[in-house]
Amino acid sequence: MRSWIQREFLYRRRVYGVLFVAPAMLFFLVFSLYPTLNGFYLSLTEYTLLKPPVFVGFENYTKLAGNDQFQNGVKVTLWFLLGTTVPKWILSLALAMLFLAPFRGREFFKTLYFTPTLLSAVVVSLVWKLLLDPNGVISALAKPITRDPDTLWLSDRILTPISLIFVDDWAGIPFFMIIWIAGLVGIPRVFYEAALIDGTTRWQAFLHVTLPLLRPTILFVVVISTINSFQSFALQYVMTRGGPSDLTTTIALLVYNYGFNYFRMGQAAAMSVFMFFVIILITLIYIRSVRAEETSYT
Amino acid sequence: MASPDRFSEYSPAAYTGTHGSFRAHFRQKANGAALYAAMCLGLLFFCVPLYYMFTTSFKAEPEVFAMPVHWIPRSFLPQNYVDAFLAAPFPRYFWNSLLVAVIVVGSTVLFSALAGYGFAKFDFPGRRLAFLFILSTMMIPFQVLLIPLFVVVHQLGWTNSYAGLIIPGALSAFGVFLMRQACLTLPDELMDAARIDGAREVGIFIRIVLPLLKPAIATLAILTFLGSWNNFLWPLIVVTKDELFTLPVGMTVFQQPMQAPYWTYIMAVSTVATLPVVIVFLLLQRYFIEGVVVSGLKG
Repeated sequence: MRSWIQREFLYRRRVYGVLFVAPAMLFFLVFSLYPTLNGFYLSLTEYTLLKPPVFVGFENYTKLAGNDQFQNGVKVTLWFLLGTTVPKWILSLALAMLFLAPFRGREFFKTLYFTPTLLSAVVVSLVWKLLLDPNGVISALAKPITRDPDTLWLSDRILTPISLIFVDDWAGIPFFMIIWIAGLVGIPRVFYEAALIDGTTRWQAFLHVTLPLLRPTILFVVVISTINSFQSFALQYVMTRGGPSDLTTTIALLVYNYGFNYFRMGQAAAMSVFMFFVIILITLIYIRSVRAEETSYT
Repeated sequence: MASPDRFSEYSPAAYTGTHGSFRAHFRQKANGAALYAAMCLGLLFFCVPLYYMFTTSFKAEPEVFAMPVHWIPRSFLPQNYVDAFLAAPFPRYFWNSLLVAVIVVGSTVLFSALAGYGFAKFDFPGRRLAFLFILSTMMIPFQVLLIPLFVVVHQLGWTNSYAGLIIPGALSAFGVFLMRQACLTLPDELMDAARIDGAREVGIFIRIVLPLLKPAIATLAILTFLGSWNNFLWPLIVVTKDELFTLPVGMTVFQQPMQAPYWTYIMAVSTVATLPVVIVFLLLQRYFIEGVVVSGLKG
């Protein structure tokens, strides 16, 4: 038989649990679940905020297929994605490996390398806009190579997308460096001792010890950097406004333009639904590939 | 330069701590000079833009594009900071950013801790499902929510208000997750003992649970503060009135593409905008880096 005290505790566990969780549940229902579902609905409507949404079926999606701006946006986004993920992974991992062995001043360097992470995306964009001015510092530094006194880093057709990719990598590498370090430090050194006894080279140890054991970190870095790149907005908005001639107009910027400049909420919602599925798809592919490899190793 | 001994496999330094397993074991020949050269190059790469932002904020405007580059400003004008803050309502923007960030941090910490505690230490029907639901909202990218969330706020009549700036960001799924993990480590006996002593549930939460969650709260508070302080896209769309702009929005509006930018002013404001983050970083460096790692590895 339960004592009264146990019954009292049980009662409290039910009632107070619900009470404590209730505000959060309410919040996520109103500001996450409802908007997500409503987003799908809005993508099937024509909506300008002034009048109630009008249901139009899949018209927004069929329009997207024939929309040059959107197709261009997909292309721009994919190039940006490529430029701001792969180099970021490799360079931040290389830096993290450099920081593993103890050397004098290691913490000093690590802390200072971390500083770009302290800047907001807007400040990063503004500072680099100044540095990349045709008459600015980068032009001056690059003059021996370019032989051009005022290179148009942010309005040339070829250079502009590259400049934005460069700035995004600059701002993102320190963050992922810290993540890699946390992952690398977690690898038990016994594995390296074993590898050393087996006479492996450094490169072999990296391939066959470090990389497999680093898999959760790899998954995280890959997924987060991809999602971040997809969501990049301030950079394009502040530095180029999507220009020159839409060469840096990513889907994120298009969603903003359609939603808040043209007030075509339905079209904008359709674009974000498209983006949603692309992100989900990429995440699932990553998770699956990592899982598949995991089973093959064990 | 560096003595080769420090890098050899047999030096005691290589075996202290958990750091450096890979390199400690696979470093064949010490090449300290090359390492330091690379480190200094990296230092220039990552820190010169910040240095340039800071020094430009003290320059006279004609000096900004002077050639060759003035790495050390010839003029020293702290007056720029005063002028910049008078050139646009920047004090107002700063205040708005601070107000929003402080409320968002307070609310996120309180409600995350409440919910995390509820999920970790109580038992009620639907608990697992509810927690899974909150976790799954973490997977939804903000860009996808942008339009429908704006529509919700629009329907509630919160556009152009502090409510619109604050409330949609007043709680985070990640916060609930973090707090739940922290609460799971607390022993049940602690709460039960208090219950037997006649404490009320709310009292237990405030007097026993919250103090024990301090490290997790510090981490969450820092992350939330950063997110709110640097947030750009949401305030950009939800407020159009000048007096409600936050600092990032105010800065981009001030620096309109068509009007001649006052780079010294913009760099002065950028420096001021970065200052609170630097202060938090210097004071709470341990929690700060931990926060980045925690958000990284478990987010």
